[in-house]
Amino acid sequence: MSGEPRDRYAVVIVGGGIVGLFTAYHLARAGTGPIAVFERGFLSSGASGRNGGGVRQQWETGATVALAREAVAAWRRFPGEFGFNPYFRQGGYLFLAESAAELAQLDRVAATVRAAGLPLERLDPRAVARRAPGIRTDRIQGASYLGSDGTLYPFPAIWGAYEAARRLGVDVFLRSEVTAIDSEGGRVLGVRVGGRRVAADRVVNAAGGWSGELSRRAGLSVPNVASRHEILATEPMKRFLDPMLIRLSDGLYVSQTMRGELVGGLSVPHPPGVVPGPPSSIAFLRRMSASLVDLFPNLSGLNVLRAWAGYYDDTPDGMPVIGEDPRLRGFFHANGFGGHGFMLSPATSLRVARSVLGERTDLDPARFGPARFLSPGRAMHAEHLQPG
Amino acid sequence: MARPSARTFRFRRRNLPCEAEQTLAATLSAQGVRILGRSIRYHRPRAPFCGVGYCTQCLVRVNGVPNIRSCTYVPAPGDAVGTENGWPSVDRDLLGALDWLFPHGIDTLRGFRRPAAFRGLYHRVIRSLAGYGRPPTPPARPEPRAGERIDTELLVVGAGPAGRAAAARLASAGHQVLLVDRGPLLAPPPQARARAGTTVTFLPAPDPGRSPRFVATGLGADGTPVLLRAQTVCVAAGAYDGGLLVPGVDRPGVLTASGALSLAGPQGEPPFPQAIVFGGGARAGELLDRFGTHVAAAVSPGAFAPEVAARAAELEIPLYPRSLLVEIRGRRGVAAVRIQGRGGGPEQLLPVDAVLLAHCRFPNGQLFFQAGAQMDWRGSLGAYTPVLGPGFETSVPGLFAVGEAAGFEPGSPAEASGIAAAEQLLEGTTPSVLPARAEPGRPSEMAGYYTELLRRRAGRGKWILCACEDVLLQELEEASRAGYRGLEEIKRYTGVGTGLCQGRFCLPAAILLLSDLEHRPPSEVGYIRQRPPVVPTPLGTWARMPEETG
Repeated sequence: MSGEPRDRYAVVIVGGGIVGLFTAYHLARAGTGPIAVFERGFLSSGASGRNGGGVRQQWETGATVALAREAVAAWRRFPGEFGFNPYFRQGGYLFLAESAAELAQLDRVAATVRAAGLPLERLDPRAVARRAPGIRTDRIQGASYLGSDGTLYPFPAIWGAYEAARRLGVDVFLRSEVTAIDSEGGRVLGVRVGGRRVAADRVVNAAGGWSGELSRRAGLSVPNVASRHEILATEPMKRFLDPMLIRLSDGLYVSQTMRGELVGGLSVPHPPGVVPGPPSSIAFLRRMSASLVDLFPNLSGLNVLRAWAGYYDDTPDGMPVIGEDPRLRGFFHANGFGGHGFMLSPATSLRVARSVLGERTDLDPARFGPARFLSPGRAMHAEHLQPG
Repeated sequence: MARPSARTFRFRRRNLPCEAEQTLAATLSAQGVRILGRSIRYHRPRAPFCGVGYCTQCLVRVNGVPNIRSCTYVPAPGDAVGTENGWPSVDRDLLGALDWLFPHGIDTLRGFRRPAAFRGLYHRVIRSLAGYGRPPTPPARPEPRAGERIDTELLVVGAGPAGRAAAARLASAGHQVLLVDRGPLLAPPPQARARAGTTVTFLPAPDPGRSPRFVATGLGADGTPVLLRAQTVCVAAGAYDGGLLVPGVDRPGVLTASGALSLAGPQGEPPFPQAIVFGGGARAGELLDRFGTHVAAAVSPGAFAPEVAARAAELEIPLYPRSLLVEIRGRRGVAAVRIQGRGGGPEQLLPVDAVLLAHCRFPNGQLFFQAGAQMDWRGSLGAYTPVLGPGFETSVPGLFAVGEAAGFEPGSPAEASGIAAAEQLLEGTTPSVLPARAEPGRPSEMAGYYTELLRRRAGRGKWILCACEDVLLQELEEASRAGYRGLEEIKRYTGVGTGLCQGRFCLPAAILLLSDLEHRPPSEVGYIRQRPPVVPTPLGTWARMPEETG
């Protein structure tokens, strides 16, 4: 939006990605007073506009399964509620195990997911081949499949959340970087944007890959690390693959979109930290293509159309950080989503909004709260099922 | 029907001859095959357009592999060629009814939401219609070739006048030079190594701590992966003939200048009886020379260059300077064009069966964007070119830009820029006389063209802005009205620029349109970070790409 921000807002949200926009929407619905969202780039310039669109409920921890389940229900309602269609298609997620250790990991996932009442299926290689025609199964030892997992288009979801928030009176400022957080005596006073002060008692850090840097600008030491991840898209083909595939051995994930392209990624090491417009690499294109052709030998002649990159916001235990920082009153975390922020956003942002409103949430502070990193040596409830 | 022999390939149920060096598109055109495919959303007829392997309009299936560009593919004896995305065939496609059923387009962003119970059905229908070709079938091809890694001191990308001049000068001074080109490379400069049929697909920003500084990837003949390592890179990747926004621009028979030249071949009969040429510069002149009496008229958005006007007078071709191309009529081909003088001149209907677009050439700037070179907007070109320091070095040390890719006029100025860059590399001195480069800020003849055209808003058909994805002009306008600003957001909102041509034929127009809609200069509308690869490159090629180090 154009125009100047007010001098004071009830809540300032830093980051105009899906988490920031949904949080603004929920807060506006609750009627907190004026809300501003400051986004450093354009709409969808961060990870919200760069992810692979996967939405899954297969996790190692029950807490994440519960959030994901709620998110799936919310994504199903999204077209009716927000007026845009992200084409959330429940084609399932298929995790492929190629070793005993990977099978054991899927056993743990299966136990957790089934305990939550979801009908996860374990597939043998022949059943995998039926779900993913053309796949090479000779190295696959087993798989897990949940048909209500799915994929969506991130962009319409962003437009829907953005327009809904604005309809409720939220001011969204694009190309507006928050350069500092003002505080005094352990309380937030506001933010600085473009050289001016904007006062607010409550500030939400929903800055994705930039959230670690933003917390540090507020004088807080946090363990969040931005890591660059790359994706590619092929030319579109007629439909052949329904589920999202995850190969545990190398972290490959790939799905066929509604348009018919294959979209997927795989992690290759990059130095931590963020730069604008993160670049692609030859190493990624080679490894990703090799893994995909290894799984689907027929696809060797299919063209890669483009490759791009974005940032995960990683935490040491692979779990997000949600809630008020005990060291700085009024500073709320909504970050550390480690590449899964988009899929979980309908559920997580609702809880971010509740915590900003001072309400209790059902999130266990020992798993999700920012204080968990402050006492070293404490056992963490880590989430290890990271790819896709 | 001809009997199958070693010298034919199969197209549908026919055996067609393999002519030496003749592309599939040219062969099919000579055999009277016009429609090669159907568009992705509205199933509009598709036929060759750009002739250089960039656009989406001539895709066919060859030996089980979809999306082969017939304009650059030379069929081998025994090839099996088929068409895709038409039902029952691309000639008579019942799904073409979609175009007729949705005259104002389909709102995919807000559409298919209600009733909620039908969404699963919508998804199934949309998915079964989406995509171009069927997935590749098991390869009946020889084992893919192993990748190659080539080290060189200097890499020159593009063997046009500028690239050849730079390579020749550097090689004659004793430097190790590798000259690569997408196309055939006739008579390479002596002493320089040369590699034809190789597209440089990705030039990441150099790693300053590494030697050699640059590591680039290439796509060689038959999909051979090539890794190129060089201390210095000189990009002379040239330019391409741009598209135009006008109703009917995606009809079979509308061709860019390169498309027309490629389809006709060097000596062959033109693939049309009577065409109009759109454009008034040197490129239009080339078409008059090549096609002569097959040109019914020449229409230019601005003035005609004196030599073009003189040539037209010799051939008795009528000229329409300062004119708008208002509409291209026809359904399965071009039947007529409607033109009107700029500033409200009289309107005329010219019956023709082809439209040749020669009004603008855009620099191939992808490698500069990828390498992180600083770019600026050149109003006279309607495109971005790299900011150049002394001796045509870009803001990336060791990366040089010459020729049309850098915004130099084609021909001798481009050549001179190649020599000048070589001199800079050899002597470290900037030549005193520098060739002319398109000036920033000087408006091109296309500036204001669309403003005027859209004020009239004539024409009955869809205004296809992006022919790869069937994105309509009105979708861009609606996005702008809804408050989305700048090319990056508009791209993601509308899908413009996300097709197989990577935005080559829609983004230049989109930038000018957004400049009008947003009331700010084109340079502020922004550009799209050009993503690798420069041309779509097979997964199998990437999979076998040699390691960067070692």
